[in-house]
Amino acid sequence: MSYLTVNNATKQFGESFMALNGVSIAVERGEFFTLLGPSGCGKTTLLRAIAGFNDLTSGEITLAGSNLRAVPPHQRDIGMVFQDYAVFPHLSVFDNVAFGLKPRKVSAADIKARVIPALDSVRLGDMAQRLPAAMSGGQQQRIGLARAMVINPRLLLMDEPLSNLDAKLRIELREEIRDMQQQIDIATIYVTHDQEEALAISDRICVMNSGRIEQVGTPQQIYGDPQTRFVAEFVGTLNTFQPGPALDALLGQLGLSAPPDASWAVRPERLVLAAAGSPNEGAAALNGTVTKYTYLGREAHVQVETPVGSLVVQVANPGMAATRQAGEAVSVLVPRDAPMAFGADGARIGG
Amino acid sequence: MPRFNFWTVVMILTWVLLFVLLFIPVGSVLVSSFYDQSGNLTFGNYLKFLSEPRFHQAFVNTLVVGFGGLAGALLLGSIMAFCVSRFVIRGGKFVSLLAILALVSPPFIGAYSWIVLFGAGGVVRGFLRDLGISMPPIYGVGGILIVFSLKFYPYVYLMVSGALSNVNRSLEEAAEGLGLTPWQRTFKISFPMVFPALTAGGLLALIHAIADFGTPRLLGRGYNVLATEAFTLYSAEIGSNLSMATTISVVLILVSMVFVLLQRYMSRRNVYHGNMINKPVRMQLSGWRNVLAHVAVYFIGLCGAMPVIISVIYSFRKTSGPVFQDGFALQSYERILFNLGDVVRNSLTFSVAAVVLIVMVGTVVGVLVARRTNFNTALLDGAFMVPYVMPGIVIGIAFIAAFNTGPIVLTGTALIIILSIFIRRLPYTVRTTASSLRQISPSMEEAAVSLGYSPFQAFLRITVPLIVPGIIAGGMLSFVTAINELSSSLVLYVGSTMTMPVRIYLLILDGDFGTAAALSTILLLISGCAVYIAFRFMGRNEQALL
Repeated sequence: MSYLTVNNATKQFGESFMALNGVSIAVERGEFFTLLGPSGCGKTTLLRAIAGFNDLTSGEITLAGSNLRAVPPHQRDIGMVFQDYAVFPHLSVFDNVAFGLKPRKVSAADIKARVIPALDSVRLGDMAQRLPAAMSGGQQQRIGLARAMVINPRLLLMDEPLSNLDAKLRIELREEIRDMQQQIDIATIYVTHDQEEALAISDRICVMNSGRIEQVGTPQQIYGDPQTRFVAEFVGTLNTFQPGPALDALLGQLGLSAPPDASWAVRPERLVLAAAGSPNEGAAALNGTVTKYTYLGREAHVQVETPVGSLVVQVANPGMAATRQAGEAVSVLVPRDAPMAFGADGARIGG
Repeated sequence: MPRFNFWTVVMILTWVLLFVLLFIPVGSVLVSSFYDQSGNLTFGNYLKFLSEPRFHQAFVNTLVVGFGGLAGALLLGSIMAFCVSRFVIRGGKFVSLLAILALVSPPFIGAYSWIVLFGAGGVVRGFLRDLGISMPPIYGVGGILIVFSLKFYPYVYLMVSGALSNVNRSLEEAAEGLGLTPWQRTFKISFPMVFPALTAGGLLALIHAIADFGTPRLLGRGYNVLATEAFTLYSAEIGSNLSMATTISVVLILVSMVFVLLQRYMSRRNVYHGNMINKPVRMQLSGWRNVLAHVAVYFIGLCGAMPVIISVIYSFRKTSGPVFQDGFALQSYERILFNLGDVVRNSLTFSVAAVVLIVMVGTVVGVLVARRTNFNTALLDGAFMVPYVMPGIVIGIAFIAAFNTGPIVLTGTALIIILSIFIRRLPYTVRTTASSLRQISPSMEEAAVSLGYSPFQAFLRITVPLIVPGIIAGGMLSFVTAINELSSSLVLYVGSTMTMPVRIYLLILDGDFGTAAALSTILLLISGCAVYIAFRFMGRNEQALL
């Protein structure tokens, strides 16, 4: 049995709204497990149910084999990091971090011996006596992290801890979180709506939508082998082929087939841009005209009008020479393993 | 679960409290207004109100002084707010202090100070007469309007200056960029932004002007309003008519409620929340404009604070009996020390007792309202609006109507005065506690719970320390209101429960202004200390005084 299990969890708000609709997950010891989804998908509801702040309408939660729903939230021994930091403004940085040790009857000397290294690990060692009010968001969230970890909880929960920080700090702090989590080897559940963050930080990702799980898997599985159209669209970007004779010809050329109501899509970085009429091997060529060129530094997006619709092609490391003008005739190469087929219900059926 | 029980008990106790201290008195007023003096059910009182010219006149007069006071307060308050928040005014803090002085000055000492200056034997009037300039004495409706304008302008000033300094300057710059003239800009952009504050401040001025009893009493000279009529009917030694007094009370409540609802309706769509990235800056005026702005601001400020200045000066004047002599002495204070110690003690005891009750009950109920929102608490929140619209004189009469006979008899006790202050000020504390609680992120307590504290401990160790400074400050401001409360105490007091404002009122009626001035100065000093402590705890926040 897994370390943390959630079995068939449902949460109903009001008469009809199902925030969670039969969700089951299993998290192993030491695993970094991310709940990813758009706002309102139920990820925070699930996290708060594990923390005990909202009880489930039905379902089971077990931690290390024992029923967690029977334990009041303050006895669950679960550390939590909040989106708005929830740093206590009337306590010094030291007292914030020491706060959770007091109900655990840790002696004053031991508190000091544990808080100081915890503060050092989040690089706040020399700010212990300061009040948090004037500190930056990144520093406040570091207090939140140290405070949650210093109690050696059985489980660490993080509710979009980086979403209020600016882009650069977000990347910096997510690396620190990942390093720290691996160092103390603690099972962690991390909630985010940022797909890049989820891919970067997780052992496994659980993509949620409208109170249900779409797919659980490693970052590579989620991105490279999405099992539903929702996952493919939410994580990364997607070109959808317009159905019609041109698509049928393309699929025929590649030797792919799917039921007639299936829709086909492909990721921009799987497409290759070539000069018009250039030879190809193992890929089908689509003739098209460039309509837009967007330069993004480490990559460029070229929008090409083709017989199967408008496609975005991602070009890595675009040099000066890669620049395309609107109206330029090009050829888009579609490798055989690039297209993905989804059934009418959104489930992956091939490709 | 014990927690569930605790809050249920609080909820029930709150309803009991509201029932006993609010619904029974208001109900008694309503019931009493439908009975004549001999106890027969009748519409007679209302018919009498509608038919007798005396009551017509009082009703019309009430509206006149209400809207006149409103207009004056709006004018003075807006001018001052605009100047102070948009132009560089030397000593701007001092001007705000003058406004606070006007606000916390003991009731209707203002009216009397103006009589001292401009009454029949007024100092300024006499001086001008010596110069050959004769002016009419300040009595009558004109005088009431002048006093109301100067007394209630701080409500508008504090509200509007707060709003004006919260208008994002980018909005005005955008309007400027779109080609609006400064005049158009003011009326099309700034005015709509401060409109809610203007109506809120105006409402406070209006409600207070309608409820004010002391000023028309002293300055009116036959110009009666509903509040004075109610008091006259209640207190007349011969022909006291409680049922007619209650009828007038009902009318007063209705009038106040209409205005409260009107203000809510008027500003319902006009609450704007903008970012404050581009804060407004004060402009340095030059030349005659600068002089004009300074003169306007200081003139309004000093006139508003004039009663306080006059009473402080007069409290140190030498007296012989009630007659002032040349020179200065501490006689007036000596008289208080030897004869009026019990009045000061009463005021302090009652106010402290009321404030302790207000803070304890108000905090618990505020937590209830903020944290356990459901139908009942929404209703509770609404019920707490009621004493807000009840003039003090009506509260007094209502308490007499409810607790003179029947199961609970409280008339003549200190308790009835304490409770009347308590119920009037409780809504304020409930609201401030609830709103400060709503400002604390719930994740703060959740963090404490996740760290191993029970919900109750988390509340005690995290939330309480965060709201305590606000509660202490609110308590201090309640204390200022409590110790200055006149009109309800005037109805409820007996010889042994006389308070300072009541004594000041009686001293002025007796013509002993020296002692009244000294007592007022003491009252002002106590209020000033309380305001100072409040500002220490929450930062200088003049708007909290409203």
